[in-house]
Amino acid sequence: MRLLLAEDDADLVAILKSDLQQAGYAVDVADNGVQAEFLGNEGLYDIIVLDLGLPQRNGIEVLQSWRHQGNRVPVIILTARNAWHERVDGFKAGADDYLGKPFHVEELLARLTALLHRASQQPGGALTAAGLTLDEEGQTVTTTDGQTHRLTGTEFRLLRYMLLHPGKILSKTELTDHIYDLDSDKDSNVIEVYIRRLRKLLGHERIETRRGQGYIFKVP
Amino acid sequence: MRSLQTKLVSGLMLSLIAVFTVLWFLINFSIQSLAEEYIASRLRHDAETLLGTIQFDKAGQLKLNQSSIDPIYNKPYSGHYFRISTANQIINSRSLWDQQLPLAAVVKAGEVKRHYEDGPDNQALLVISNGFIKHKRQLTISVAEDLNPVKSDIEQFQRRFAITAVALLLLLVILQVFILRYSLTPLARLRAELRSLQQGETRQLSTDSPTELQPLVNEINHLLKLMDQRLRRSRDALGDLAHAIKKPLTVMRQLTDKNKNKLPDDINTTLARQTNEIDLIADRILKRARLAGQSHAGEYFDFAKDLPDLLETLRLMYSDKAITPQLEMPDAIHYPIERQDMMELLGNLLDNAWKWAHQTVHIRIRMNDKLTICIEDDGPGVDASRLAQLTRRGARLDESIQGHGFGLAIVADMVEEYKGELSFGRSETLGGLKVDVTL
Repeated sequence: MRLLLAEDDADLVAILKSDLQQAGYAVDVADNGVQAEFLGNEGLYDIIVLDLGLPQRNGIEVLQSWRHQGNRVPVIILTARNAWHERVDGFKAGADDYLGKPFHVEELLARLTALLHRASQQPGGALTAAGLTLDEEGQTVTTTDGQTHRLTGTEFRLLRYMLLHPGKILSKTELTDHIYDLDSDKDSNVIEVYIRRLRKLLGHERIETRRGQGYIFKVP
Repeated sequence: MRSLQTKLVSGLMLSLIAVFTVLWFLINFSIQSLAEEYIASRLRHDAETLLGTIQFDKAGQLKLNQSSIDPIYNKPYSGHYFRISTANQIINSRSLWDQQLPLAAVVKAGEVKRHYEDGPDNQALLVISNGFIKHKRQLTISVAEDLNPVKSDIEQFQRRFAITAVALLLLLVILQVFILRYSLTPLARLRAELRSLQQGETRQLSTDSPTELQPLVNEINHLLKLMDQRLRRSRDALGDLAHAIKKPLTVMRQLTDKNKNKLPDDINTTLARQTNEIDLIADRILKRARLAGQSHAGEYFDFAKDLPDLLETLRLMYSDKAITPQLEMPDAIHYPIERQDMMELLGNLLDNAWKWAHQTVHIRIRMNDKLTICIEDDGPGVDASRLAQLTRRGARLDESIQGHGFGLAIVADMVEEYKGELSFGRSETLGGLKVDVTL
């Protein structure tokens, strides 16, 4: 999952970025409103964490501009200004969730997961599809035979993205875009390696290859 | 303080009464003295006429030529009398009949004396006594006339004058009341505007008022604007302060969370607790400081628009819970309460209800002369023994009860600021916590 963190406090960014990466997100950072607005419109991100007190352009305006342009990316607002009228204004501007500072990282992660599930119309709780259960906290997968397997970071990110978009053709570029952040070395051939590993775990027939188009995660 | 109109009318009435009284005395005195003066001069003429008819015979006896005397002096008790006296003789007019003019004094020649006497038949006489010398004999001619007919004429005049004066007085007062009413209409309008200002229907007074009121209106408008600006500025400053405090607090919380295993346990717990404490204290103080209170500044809460927004916000915040709010509210509510204050009050109350409710939250808003808000949920509620603790003022933050504490503490602060009432109980219909707020 590719996440945009729009936050201007360098200390907080440093801490949050590593926490989010550990939780399986590819994180890009925007430290001002103008940059955040631009990046948010790239269509790359699955979810955005938006601080309202951004320099240059405040968060509410950035959010309004996204929504105005038809950008429906899930946005969770993060703010120190947690008066009720500000919450109401935040939701009215088009936010999907709201978290007041200071917060516990666990709460942010739980809300991000819930929001992602909601955005792809998944029921609450653990992510399940075709007998597979993905534990997003422990980054493990339980297969149909009841066995639980540990996943590496990239495997987890890849599988989660596929589980959240079942039955859709996912191109290599799309997968790379949503698994790696801007700073990573992107080699789309590496995707093939990870697909092979997932097939080994889940069974070959689970992920179908469409030549020239990409992959489909199949649900019966 | 008495009304301006009563003051003006009663002042006018008093001054009019004073003017009419002075006028009354002045006119009475003038008329009386004029009439008397007129009578006196006629009496002097009569005396001179009488003097002309006086003859002395050889014995020195005084004789009157009766034929040339005005017949009024011969008619008994006609009100016109005379008496002529010399050193040894007194002649009375026939009109006196058997009475005497009670006069004795001899008036020196060339002198005139005026006095008042009681005459026959209860008459009030004005007597003019003249001293003459005729044929080297000293004589005094006193001529008298009854003043009663003139007096009754004067009394009649006085009555008419009094009636006219009272009528004029009333007419003037009524006229003045109308004039006052008319010229005080801007004041009445101003009062109506102040009322609608208080009820939050207008934000400024209209500047179309008479020159006398213009400075007052301008000053009030200026103060309103100033209050508005000051509130906005202080709220912005507080928002910035909250922002500035919360950022380092967030970093500190992340650090303590992250380094659970690296730092000694006691240090980590203390740090976490202290960070939490700073956060809660800052939140409560900032929220209290942000309250506009009953200052009539800022924007007012629009129940028809802001309340649904608030409910939508709660729905999104608690998207994992399916809570059905039951809203009971009259169609049109006009209660002048500042928007951000009311958002904070309702937000905290509803947040608490949503947090504990299983399925249903009942919201009832009523408006008579006060605004009453009743919120009930179907959650576990609070034990009767601990209900009292919820309302206790200034309860410490760490004493928050079963997680109900903090939001409700802010609500308690707000209700206190608005001098309202806050009470907690158990919901009879839903079984959970019931909160009543009266503002």
